[in-house]
Amino acid sequence: MSAALDLGLRAQAAAVAAGDVEAAELLDGALARIEERNPALNAVIETFPERSREMLAAAPAGPLHGVPIVIKDEWPLPWRAQRFGAAELMAPTAPGESAPYRALRDAGAVVVGVGNMHELGAGSTGNTSFYGPARNPWDTERCPGGSSSGPAASVAGGLVAGAVGADGLGSVRFPAAYCGLTGLKPTFGRSAMEGHHMAAVTTLIVSGPLCADAADCRLLGSVLFGEELAAGDAAGLRIGIVRDTVAEDVTPEVREACEKAIEALRKETDGEVREIALPDLDAATLAAILIINSESMGGVTPERLNHLHPELSPIARGTLKYRMLLPAAATVQSTRVRTMMRRRLVELFEEVDVIAWPTIPAPAPLLEAPLVELPSGTHTADQANVRGAALANLTGIPSISMPVGLSGERLPIALQLQAAWGRDELLLDAAEALERANERRWVESRPPLAEAETTEV
Amino acid sequence: MEGAAPVDDFIPAGLASLGIKADEIDLAVMNAVHQLLWPPILELLALDTEGVEPERCPDLSRAPE
Repeated sequence: MSAALDLGLRAQAAAVAAGDVEAAELLDGALARIEERNPALNAVIETFPERSREMLAAAPAGPLHGVPIVIKDEWPLPWRAQRFGAAELMAPTAPGESAPYRALRDAGAVVVGVGNMHELGAGSTGNTSFYGPARNPWDTERCPGGSSSGPAASVAGGLVAGAVGADGLGSVRFPAAYCGLTGLKPTFGRSAMEGHHMAAVTTLIVSGPLCADAADCRLLGSVLFGEELAAGDAAGLRIGIVRDTVAEDVTPEVREACEKAIEALRKETDGEVREIALPDLDAATLAAILIINSESMGGVTPERLNHLHPELSPIARGTLKYRMLLPAAATVQSTRVRTMMRRRLVELFEEVDVIAWPTIPAPAPLLEAPLVELPSGTHTADQANVRGAALANLTGIPSISMPVGLSGERLPIALQLQAAWGRDELLLDAAEALERANERRWVESRPPLAEAETTEV
Repeated sequence: MEGAAPVDDFIPAGLASLGIKADEIDLAVMNAVHQLLWPPILELLALDTEGVEPERCPDLSRAPE
């Protein structure tokens, strides 16, 4: 069973469909794998074997029939309310059938566990959680990325082959990048969101798949989108690059790996690389932060802030209180910046098909001190990471992160591609083209923890 | 007359006006966030967006009209 657990998502689905693997054994194997490896990763915060077995017993024949999946602690399940990685949420929650859960169930998948996450979704590192931090399978002293820390560590650690995360300011792409996975941030509104406690108010957050490669993301993404993300052709891809902080204030290793990947992608697609201008990226980043901050404060009163749960982290407590002081004019200005950037992107996507830059400026930092050393100096990882991710959330465009190398410390490096609204399929096509170009070297690289000897189930 | 710069008054004054209590740790976190966010917020407010025609009920799933 170890061999089946180590297959990718579509291979697991195919093996179950062909009768080569018994779904019940696969589920038991995943539960045993979680028991075995999770103490080192803290990726999964809760399992519910009986519920999972009931789900399997009732599973319809679908594209993910019998395949175990981890879902982030951001959606309710019929038997469990989401905790959002925190001792207390700012919105009411209750158990229920969220849209991602329904999509998985209707596809025949089995929810095997809930994935850990950065507290309140408010960080790119995953180093803070009510459940304790998840750990990166490439180096368990390092950040797995956030906020979808547990889903990413679950897949990279070989607990499951696919996981559902959420991305409001990069929260699928950062952990995908830190853990050497492929992660898709869909076009706003295309993927299942109902049941999320901010679904009615958010203009930035989307659900998205985290898997080993682009084809697996296509499969899980199709389930979350409720429509087939058909494979196409990225031939003649016009790749836009910027000469800006987001591409240049990165470690030399990241820069070299990403430039090499962009050139490999150009060559594989017989495409071209064009330098483009995308001014006011810093303003766009701040605009996204201010908008998501304001959207997350619905129903929060001074009285509520005076009685926060004692186990909420000091950072969360201070940040929530600070958000109450943000000037409304800055949020209004943020919506203007959003419009400005959306219109600029319309023009840019006439010139290029995708915009490419590093997902993360430096590989995963230490959990104890999530700082990164960049050419411009030392920054918190959050501060540095968000500048490459927020544009897609602010404007609604899709984005994908894929592994393109390993650092000298054998930590993943990742490239991000962004495309026009609704062109999620093109991003998957381009990612697959890049996998072909590098002979799948990086999507098939495994962290030491996932290569460890495991007990046969 | 010596006194705190207006920016140093911002957090305590804002909290007091809203009736929000904060301990030393809260204040330390808030000051750190403020140092990071406030200068770019001022830059954002100074950004010329005069000519940007607002989108009415923007649909983030599509390109703007």
